[in-house]
Order: sequence, then C-alpha cells, then structure tokens
Amino acid sequence: MTTTSATQSAPSGASGEDRPELAAVGLGHGYGDNEVLGSIDFAVARGEFVCLVGPSGVGKSTLLRCLAGLQLPRRGSVQVKGVDMKAPVWGVAVVFQDYSRSLMPWSTVIDNVALPLVAAGTKKKDARVAVLEALEQVGLTRDAAEKYPWQLSGGMQQRVAIARALAYKPSVVLMDEPFASVDAQTRADLEDLMRELQRELDITVVLVTHDIDEAVYLSDRVVVLSGSPASVAEIVPIDLPRERDQITTKATPAFADARARIYGLIRRVPVDTHE
Amino acid sequence: MNARRLRAFGLELWLPVVLVAVWWFASAGSTSPYFPSLQSILAQFASDWLSPSATRNLLPSLELLASGYAIAVIVGGAVGVLLGTVRALEEATRPLLEILRAIPGVAVLPLFIVLLGIELPMKIALIAFGCVWPVLLNTIDGVRGIEPLLLDVAKSYKIGAARRLTSIILPGASPQIFAGARTALAIAIIIMVVAETVGGTGGIGYFLLTAERNFAITSMWGAIVALGLLGYILNILFRLLEGGVLRWHRLLQSRLEAQL
Amino acid sequence: MIAAQAGVLFLGVLIWWAVSTQVPADGVPSPVETSGALVALAATGPFWLAVWETVQTFLIGILICIIVGVPVGLAIGRSRLATQSTRLSFDFLRTIPPIAILPLVLLLYGPTPTMVLVMVVLGAIWPIVIQSVYAANQTEPQLDDMARAFQISGWRRITTIFIPGVLPFVLTGLRVGTTICLLLTITGELLGGAPGIGSSIITAQESLNNPQMYAYVVVAALLGLIVNVGFWAAQRRVLHWHPSFRGEGQK
Repeated sequence: MTTTSATQSAPSGASGEDRPELAAVGLGHGYGDNEVLGSIDFAVARGEFVCLVGPSGVGKSTLLRCLAGLQLPRRGSVQVKGVDMKAPVWGVAVVFQDYSRSLMPWSTVIDNVALPLVAAGTKKKDARVAVLEALEQVGLTRDAAEKYPWQLSGGMQQRVAIARALAYKPSVVLMDEPFASVDAQTRADLEDLMRELQRELDITVVLVTHDIDEAVYLSDRVVVLSGSPASVAEIVPIDLPRERDQITTKATPAFADARARIYGLIRRVPVDTHE
Repeated sequence: MNARRLRAFGLELWLPVVLVAVWWFASAGSTSPYFPSLQSILAQFASDWLSPSATRNLLPSLELLASGYAIAVIVGGAVGVLLGTVRALEEATRPLLEILRAIPGVAVLPLFIVLLGIELPMKIALIAFGCVWPVLLNTIDGVRGIEPLLLDVAKSYKIGAARRLTSIILPGASPQIFAGARTALAIAIIIMVVAETVGGTGGIGYFLLTAERNFAITSMWGAIVALGLLGYILNILFRLLEGGVLRWHRLLQSRLEAQL
Repeated sequence: MIAAQAGVLFLGVLIWWAVSTQVPADGVPSPVETSGALVALAATGPFWLAVWETVQTFLIGILICIIVGVPVGLAIGRSRLATQSTRLSFDFLRTIPPIAILPLVLLLYGPTPTMVLVMVVLGAIWPIVIQSVYAANQTEPQLDDMARAFQISGWRRITTIFIPGVLPFVLTGLRVGTTICLLLTITGELLGGAPGIGSSIITAQESLNNPQMYAYVVVAALLGLIVNVGFWAAQRRVLHWHPSFRGEGQK
C-alpha cells in the first residue's frame, strides 16, 4: 500500500530532450467508495515496449482505460508527450481484450480495419491501400480481407484487431490482455508478431497482462502493480537481448531472474482480489 | 440501498401519475360527448365492474379466455414437443404450419360459426385456434435449441423417455415456451372480445360493443378501463408464474450479463 | 423433403375436402368450389379494391409504427433516466388489448380506413417501441469504447456502429408488430365494417355465399403468408452477419 519507491525513474531508453511518449502522473481512480487505483506514476519512452502486470482484480484494465483516455481519472493525469489527455487522441490506438466483441460482426474485415481511417476523413482509396498494408503486416491475406471477422479463427480475428490499430498509424498502441482468449501456439505467434511490428514500425506499446512470462518475454520494462488500492510496486527493467525467441530466450538465466523477481513482488503484498 | 430503491420506484411512477393527472384535469367538466371526464368514467367503472353484479360480465369472459388459452398452450406444447423431437416430421409439416399460422385468427370466425355454431364451443375453439401458433412454433424452436450434450448425457445414463421429457426437454425449452405463451395471451384477449360479439350475451367484449351501440359512452369508457386492467393484471400474473418457473433462467441470464 | 412437404399440404387439402363432404347443407365448400369462387372473384374489381384497402391500411399502419416507434424507442433507450421513467407506462399501454379502443375509434371516425388505422397504430406500436428501448440498452460496450478510442463520432458512428448493433433487437419487435398489425387490420374491418378483406368476409357470410367467404379467408391467409415470408427474407438479408443466420447459404 505504500505509494512508492521505484516510480519517477526516467525511462531507460529515453533520449534526453524528448518528453516521455506516455506518462501516468499521480493517477488515481475508483468506483463509488471502492478505490481501485491509489497513485500510479510511470513513464514510457518513445519506442519502448512496456507491460503492466498484477494479480487479477488489481485494476489493470481500469488503468489502461485511463491511459486510452476512455476514462478520466479521479486524481492526477495521463500525459501524451507532456500534454494532459482529456479524451482519446489521434495517435493512440487501442487493441481490446475480446476481439469477438470489439470487431463489428456486420462489417467485413476490410471495413472493420478501415473504419477509423474513413472516419478521420481519409479517402476511400487511400484507406484501402493503408488497410491492405496493415493486414499484410499482421500476416493476413487478401482473401481474409473480404471475409467477416466471425468467419476467421480466434487468432486471426485478433490479428484483424491489431491491423485496425496499425492502420491508424499510431505512435502508441495500448493492448488490454490481447492474447488472453487464444490457444498457446497462437499466443506465442502473436507475441512474436507484436515484438516484430513494434520494432519495425518504431511504435510504443503498453500491454496489460496477468501472465508474468508473457510480460517478461515481451517487455523492455515491466510495471508491477499490487495492493488495494493498487500502486506501482516496482518497475523491473528486463535485461534481455532485442532478438528474442520463444524457446531459447525463456531458457536464459536473465529471463528466470526477472520472472522470479516479479513473482516475488506480486506475492509479497497480500491482495484482496474481487473475484 | 433503500434510498436508491425508493428513487428507482419514484422514477418509474412519476410518469403514470402525471399522465393520469393530466387526463383527470384536462377532462374535468368535459362537454364532449365522446370524452367524458375521468371522474365520471371511474365512477361508472366502479358501478359496472366493482359491484357484485359485475361477475355477470366478468366471469363468462374469464372462463372463455381460460378454456381457449389452456387448450392452446396444452395442444401447442404437446405438438411442439413432438415436432421438435422428430425433425423429419417438423420439416414435412412446416409449410402447412406456416400457412395455418398466417391466417389472422379472427378471419376464421364466420367459418367457425358454420362449423360449430355460435355458442361457447365455437368461441373456445376460435381462441384456441388463434393463439396456438406462437406456443407451437416457440416450443419447436425451444426443443430444438436444447443443448445436444444434455440429451447425450441422458442417453448415456439410460434415462427413460418420460423422465427425459420432464427433466430435460420441457425445462430446457421452457424459456421459449413462455415467450410464446406470452404472445398467445395477448392474442387470446383480442379474439375473446371478437368472439363475444356473436351469439349469447355476457362478457366484457359484449358489454363493450353494446355500450358503444347504445351510445352509453361513459359505460364504454369504463369497459375500456376494465379491459385494460384485465390485460395488465393477467400479464402480471403471467410474469409471476414465469418468474417462479424460470428462476434458474433469470439467474443464469443475469450472471451471463454480469460476466460481459 | 420437398415431396414430403407437398404431401403434407396435399393431405391438408384432402382433409378439408373430406370435411366438406360430411358437413350438410353446403356448410363447408370443397376446395374445388372455393378455388372456383376465388378465380371468379379475381376477375372482379371490388375484390381487388378490398385487397388493396387491407394492404394499404396495413402498410401505412406499420410504416407509422416504424417511423414513430423506432426513433422514440431508441432515444429513450439511450437514456437510463428516460428508460426508467417510461417503463411502467409502456408496460401498461402494451398490455391493453388494442381491440378495447375499437368502439371509441368507431364512434370518432366511423367505419373508415382511418378508424382501422388509428387502432392498428395504437395497438402495434408498443412492441416496436419496447424492443427499440431494449435494443438501445443492449449495445456492445466494447464497440462504444472502440468508437471513442478511434475517435469515430457523429453520423458515421450512428450509421456504422449504432444502427447495425440495434437492428437485430428492433427487427424482433417489428416482427411482433407486423403480426399484430395485420391481425388488427382484418379485425377492424371485420368488426368495424371498414372496407377491406375483413368486411368482405362478413358480406359474403351475410349473403350466404360460403364459397366466396372461404375464398376471402384464403386470401387473408395468403396475405399473412406473404407478410411472414417477406419479413423473414428481409431479415435474413439485413442480418446475414447475425449468429442466427450465419452459415446459411454458405455451402
């Protein structure tokens, strides 16, 4: 419950003159009398991959909704490049947890991905080009583009959701438990895809997960949330090479160390989960 | 918690209260022959429908409605279970059912008069014919929508046909059966009024149309109020029954919604 | 299967024919007599006029219900306060048997199509309004979040996200509404004497022309069938993406 120690540390990869891409500053939120988030501080530098982990019920999704601008926090603020965020802004894209509910079942894949662009005034032709490019980036064929989302497998649907975010040409992608409802193999594929895309397109990714292995494998740094109301227990830098591999990376001592450390952090503080 | 319930209660109640008040004051001292004051309507309603003699018109209607409706639910449910279980039979009879269902219930009134006369049996048959379709078609859908795994479970435990019917098929299809029965109730009341306009005297429908023909406008309004209340009360009774029988369904539903 | 279906239909006609031979004094005309009467009727102007009156009243009625009921219902459903405030009133209005006001509209408008129309609208609009309120309550919260996160707003949000999302529920209400609408149209004509199929049935009955009466009942059934099938086809077309229609026509 101590609002803490390891917070305002400058992100490791930040170049000096740049403001952090995305930052939570003294952020607190709750519903009614139930305080969910105490006071959260952390900053994400441009091009970083950061995971938020914590036990279930700790308020990770609430935090992500605040970061996306979908919810105004009670206290503190979210800053995008140093500017307070009052509502969702252009440049921050969200991939929601449940693809089956965040994709429109009445529209084809291509229309689903194109919608944010078309809504922003992009010409239909240009949007189509951008959409096909994004679909290719996530490994979907032209064939899949003309289908309806529910005609695709779960993993492919989540790829569509990722493509929708990418087509938006975001600088930041926020992801809420994006791989929670796919099988293990698909999950590994999607994890590798995300790392690859993040580096290739030079985007900043903030991903919420309850899976510690996933967090360590994906991240440059892991923000560990615990307590009720939740606060940042520690920000753990992940000392792994940029090139990662599902088998060899996970077998390295550095991986095991980071995982053990995060386990310890989450276990130490007793949490009353609300489930 | 209590304050919140009180607030919700007030929120639901204010509009009906305002509407009745508006009617009351707007119609007070009305000289229009067609729109008498609410006060006089209520007085007439009380003397026509709340006196001991009111049973003369109320009871025959209720009897008629209950008989026709009960037949519709029982026949519709039974045939529905049969057709829902035997798929080939259902597919073969589907076009015929669709045609029969498409007949507006009241259109067959003259036809029924020829066949069955103008007395009670004809009226009961008319109501049953008119409102059996929603029960029948919903029961078929309900039975066919039962999780096949449950039927496999029943088979693997060697559960007999009778018990399979009472423990799995009927409860499993009951949400749909109730939905159909609710639509059927609304149709049954309409046809009841139509049926009461022919043949023997008595009944709300008879009273209503006689009042209109005799230009007893206040009595007619009183009968409209009575019929409206009858519809509402029957619906509440229906909902209580449904709420009791489908308790598991409601709990499951709210749980699924909470998980979303 | 089609052979079996045709067989059952044929069996139905056969039963009708058997009944017609058993009932004395021309009580029930045989299928042949009835179709003969129908063919004869189809050559007359008054027949088509009656059909047209019924169809017209039905169409105008359902159109008014949709134009008024759907937007009002959706608007109310978007607001929790409005939903709660109107719940009890709608619930009561819905359960009033629409036929209760038949005498009143008969006094006000006489045996005219207007009379039928008023009763039809007042009777059929409630399921449409109530389902629309429900529809607007049931929109997918994650799609709302998605729309906000990607800054999709205004008209585009309404047409691409809101309307397709509420459509399945609205159509459920419309289905009940159309059934009630047709039933009430025929009832209004039959009891109230407004021109149309309903009153033609009564006229045929009073002139003891049973084959003609049966012919009109058959026409009423055909009309109901067309409305049902048409509605179903339209629904399947509009909701081809919906779980209840998926997979059909794919193989």
